[in-house]
Amino acid sequence: MDVRLTGTSGLLAGSRGWRGLGMQHRLDFGFHADWADALTDPDEHRALVLVVLLDDLGPGEDEALLAALDQRLSHTLPIPTLVAFASADHAPVLAAGRRALPQRAAAQHFERALYDRAATHQALYILPIDELVAELGRARFFDRRNYYAARARLSAAGAGRLAEAIGEMLERTVVPRRKLLVLDCDNTLWGGVIGEDGLEGVRLGEDGIGAAFQDFQRALKRLTATGLLLAIASKNNEADVWHMIDQHRGMVLSRADFVATRIDWADKPTNVKAIADALGLGLDSVAFWDDNPLERAEMRAAFAEIWVPDLPDEVVEWPYLLVHAAPLAGFEVTDEDRAKAAQYQARSAFTEEAAGAVDRMGFLGSIGLRAEAVPIDESTVARAAQLAAKTNQFNLRTIRHSAAALLTIAAEPGTVAFLGALKDRFGDHGIVGLIIIRPSSEDTAEIDTLLLSCRVLGRYLEDWMLAEAVGRLKRQGVRRLRAAYVRTGKNGMMASFLPDHGFQLDETGSFEADCEMISCPGAALYALSPPV
Amino acid sequence: MPYPRLSDILRDHFEGAEFDPDAPALGIGAFEAWDSFAHFNLLLLIEESYDVRFSVEDMSNLKSIAEIRAALATKGIAA
Repeated sequence: MDVRLTGTSGLLAGSRGWRGLGMQHRLDFGFHADWADALTDPDEHRALVLVVLLDDLGPGEDEALLAALDQRLSHTLPIPTLVAFASADHAPVLAAGRRALPQRAAAQHFERALYDRAATHQALYILPIDELVAELGRARFFDRRNYYAARARLSAAGAGRLAEAIGEMLERTVVPRRKLLVLDCDNTLWGGVIGEDGLEGVRLGEDGIGAAFQDFQRALKRLTATGLLLAIASKNNEADVWHMIDQHRGMVLSRADFVATRIDWADKPTNVKAIADALGLGLDSVAFWDDNPLERAEMRAAFAEIWVPDLPDEVVEWPYLLVHAAPLAGFEVTDEDRAKAAQYQARSAFTEEAAGAVDRMGFLGSIGLRAEAVPIDESTVARAAQLAAKTNQFNLRTIRHSAAALLTIAAEPGTVAFLGALKDRFGDHGIVGLIIIRPSSEDTAEIDTLLLSCRVLGRYLEDWMLAEAVGRLKRQGVRRLRAAYVRTGKNGMMASFLPDHGFQLDETGSFEADCEMISCPGAALYALSPPV
Repeated sequence: MPYPRLSDILRDHFEGAEFDPDAPALGIGAFEAWDSFAHFNLLLLIEESYDVRFSVEDMSNLKSIAEIRAALATKGIAA
């Protein structure tokens, strides 16, 4: 991308440290005194990287900088603005005393103000340089001579390290995030081979290499908190792996952290593909982590879309590599991301059991299906409108009713309209369906909307919803139901829905059925279900 | 590891520029790209390449390749 870089002091533009970044992006260094211009230029279409070293700023300048930043953020969303900052180079941080040093207090104030803004501005990214300084050492990161010779506080090495971190950060703003990381077990989640070394023999825990594997698990655990899904594809005896995960005291991850597992002797590409399919994820959402270079090569050869990082042999490098991998560490983490893991887990468990169940209706009868008709009112209309707006596949007519329209329609006399909520042994799926049937004449009504979220397909909730609605219509004296299928590019699965449920095609191209003739066999699954 | 030649460092740093690395007056302003910025970066690159360190005075006084060569010589480096 086009990147404008500027700092509160010089950045050693053109020095060797920036070369790598310059090969990936078109860099344009502003003069260091121009940071205010760079921030307040409203025609700015380039990503902006602003390097702030707090002791460059005189009294009040930090407030001016924040004000200018606010102005930029109000103009140019969503072009990335990256603020990299360090508290200070020259500030006497070592003076210990009873009171916090004013510089330290100012740095903390500035940092808090930046993070406050980052919380509300999608395009603002913060890069705390202090971490990089600590990594390289203050004396190597900065070079005071350069300040007096060229008004730059960085050393050549510091500029290089900073460029690297900026590159990583910019990449994260554009690289689509992988949703699922599929992991190997032996010599990946722990050291050694559980099937051979046994619980006592594998290395996972406090000392040596075992601690590195444990840290790797900790890093994985932290990523799950940001919404990354974990799965296992391992060539092993399944019982051995579960024994290890459930029993070994060094395990940080537990069964519940894995949304899907394939532990058998099948080849890994097949298993990883099966996991992605079970979760309904495309392969371009998948990453694969395996210590064995042959497995990695096989995966790359089979599916180029899967992200397969090159891994150093030394496990001690993995935790760092993992948390700094742009494809795994996306930015916007929402509550929805975190909830997704639970939903995917429910879906995966359902798909896997369904695949194993020979008698499908028998299987569905055993999973404790429970449905509820939820009225459309002020508290649920937002969800109803969301379903109407987003559902493409299982949607008979794809009418995008607004929230206001839904409330009006639901209140019409004679209209039967409700949301379908679903629970089963695999989880509480919440509100996932919508049906609206409106009266068209004295004893006839017509289906306006019938849709289901694709997350819960295959459970015949549509049969239950239709049967429930028809029951209500009959009690109101309705005898005939009309309906039409409106084909879109995406709702092909609905093409036979009406004939399958007892509707007859009439000469106008619409469908009609006597209420007594409507057939909803799947509804019986719900009547039979024991309470969850 | 043997030190790189100063002329190679120059060619690397000013990629694409045409100049005679042995010209006696070669230095800041010899061509458009060789401004004070580029010169400062050149000095940083030379420090890194020869594992030496110039003082603040060196940074502002060393303006030509001849001067740089002489300064390196005082540090025991024949560049």
